[in-house]
Amino acid sequence: MSVGAGEILALVGPSGSGKTTTLRTIAGLYRPAGGRIVCNGSVWFDSESGIWIPARQRQVGMVLQSYALFPHLTAIENVMESLSGMPADARRAEAAALLSRMHLDGLDDRRPALLSGGQQQRVAVARALARRPELLLLDEPFSAVDRVTRRRLRAELVELRRELPMPVVLVTHDLDDVVRLADRMCVMHEGRILQAGTVQDVMAQPASATVVELLDLVDDMELRT
Amino acid sequence: MFKRIPAILGLLAILIAAPLPARAQDVPVVVAAADLQFALVEIADAFKKDTQRELKLTFGSSGNFARQIEQGAPFQMYLSADEQFVFSLADKGLTLDRGTLYAIGRIVIIVPHGSPLKADGTLADLKAGLADGRVKRFAIANPEHAPYGARAEEALRHAGLWDSIKDKLVLGENVSQAAQFATAGGAQGGIIAYSLALSANVSKHGPYALIDDTGHQPLRQQMVLLKKAGETAKAFYAYMQSPSARAIMRRYGFVLPGEQS
Amino acid sequence: MDWEALWLTLKLAGLTVLVLIPLAIAVGRWLAVTSFRGKAVTEAALALPLVLPPTVVGFYLLVAFGSGSWFGQTYQSLFGHSLVFTFEGLLVASVIVNIPFAVQPVQRAFEAISPDLRDAAATCGMSWWRMVWRIELPLAWPGILTGVVLTFAHTLGEFGVVLMVGGSIPGETKTVAIAIYDRVQAFDDVAAAKMSALLLAISLVTIALSYLLTQRLGRRYA
Repeated sequence: MSVGAGEILALVGPSGSGKTTTLRTIAGLYRPAGGRIVCNGSVWFDSESGIWIPARQRQVGMVLQSYALFPHLTAIENVMESLSGMPADARRAEAAALLSRMHLDGLDDRRPALLSGGQQQRVAVARALARRPELLLLDEPFSAVDRVTRRRLRAELVELRRELPMPVVLVTHDLDDVVRLADRMCVMHEGRILQAGTVQDVMAQPASATVVELLDLVDDMELRT
Repeated sequence: MFKRIPAILGLLAILIAAPLPARAQDVPVVVAAADLQFALVEIADAFKKDTQRELKLTFGSSGNFARQIEQGAPFQMYLSADEQFVFSLADKGLTLDRGTLYAIGRIVIIVPHGSPLKADGTLADLKAGLADGRVKRFAIANPEHAPYGARAEEALRHAGLWDSIKDKLVLGENVSQAAQFATAGGAQGGIIAYSLALSANVSKHGPYALIDDTGHQPLRQQMVLLKKAGETAKAFYAYMQSPSARAIMRRYGFVLPGEQS
Repeated sequence: MDWEALWLTLKLAGLTVLVLIPLAIAVGRWLAVTSFRGKAVTEAALALPLVLPPTVVGFYLLVAFGSGSWFGQTYQSLFGHSLVFTFEGLLVASVIVNIPFAVQPVQRAFEAISPDLRDAAATCGMSWWRMVWRIELPLAWPGILTGVVLTFAHTLGEFGVVLMVGGSIPGETKTVAIAIYDRVQAFDDVAAAKMSALLLAISLVTIALSYLLTQRLGRRYA
């Protein structure tokens, strides 16, 4: 599978299908037996030549499903941990700007425990963006919030992605997320890719009955026939 | 809290910086049989007054000290309650010489106030008490490694009481602990060192009586300088044989070499 | 009151903490984040001093430190004196008997840190050292503090091992616990009572302080 600049690729499939593992492999958190990962021309992983760039050296931003904010650090400190190679003042200013961009003004000095689910997710996104990633990875970014918040966060992400130059890989089991956010999609099942392509193509022409089933398109198909 | 780690580390560092025990100074560790608990403290005080030299005194069972010396304990002088321990260390080359006899000890039977037993040096009342069940517990030092315990056992055997008393014995780790056990109230009595019974700290707990010293081997107490002995230890070794030290020893009931009891 | 014994005891407890806690952090974290064949055996071995009678530990230390063992001989040739019946020997013994008191709370604390946070730290580009220093240590701090306090308090009260490998030498190996035993044998009940009361007070303050701090930290990160 591949994803281009400014594109959002959605990995969909039931739990246990390997989509999160795929994401962790791209991030460098999991080392598979074989394969090859190339980002922006640089090889991150190649089982044949034995190349393995560890996660901390990959220019990748990741939002984990649990958000995994550092509980003892404030919102701004969480974001600052992703910024390196500049003086503390500059880091603080940039982190503040990112939080503000995520509509989190005034919450800089709160610890995660005092933030709502939606606010925590935005801090996690800000922290991922602070890395100035060449690739942004989102693992079920809306699963830990209620439906109303989910809709608002999704709208924010739609807006945000227009400004983002880097490719985004999104793991989700919700087709709504795919339809509203993704350009391309990749249907996974039991560790294999069943079908990959643009969202329209996959939705219009599922490659197999399993894909149809997985995408829960049965009703639509019946309607069409 | 976490930001205070340096401060905490600093505090702990002070502990390191604090001088370790002053091993370099000539303050020798002198180990002594527990029967000297009170006598030797007095002698060490007199020694300090006369010579401005200090000692570190540790009391315990002679047998344990002998074993610790074999294991390399940094002691400079050893006052045993039994000459055999000293001779065996000397044979192993751990001492300067074969040492000197500094005293002959005596044992007493002591009974705490309110005990149904009488302080009877012939052990006749103890025999009666064992027969009629007045004696439930009786304290002596551990005969395995404490000389005063071994002599107590001999005296009890000599009186024909060993078989009837051995299940009722409480064993002190040394004779000082035996004295503790004998007078604390849990036991009806015990056999301890005369030198301890003569101290007001012990005698206030109850009456005591000397046991005839023909019923057991003499407590020939031998002292010796160990291989690491320095000037102070040597000076104290000589001081132990001076008239002032002998006077104190005599006051604590010891028979001194060259004197009659 | 035997101030020398008190100072010696506090110094022994402080140095035991200082030597043991960094080791406990390394070992505790290693046990918390890795799984390997023989881990259960390793953990059991580290917990042994918890259940073994102090006399057993003392006996083995005597054998290991003694002039008959290679360790004892090496030490003797390096420092010119035996490790038994010295403060250094006591410190080594104290570190060994306190291993479970330090390692276990530290290990629990590191285990309680979600693996997600380590993943997050990695994707934030934090170096391994920065992750440990900025994320893991602060989060494990209550557990580390518990280890510090348990080790300190337990050293104050340790008796059997100290008696066996220390030999009750004033200013060198005679801790307060031994001094109390000593005073009781010397029929000096007043001194024994004073020292016992002091040891009780110090232990109480130490434990209370740790509960207070742990509670405060717990509230902060909740």
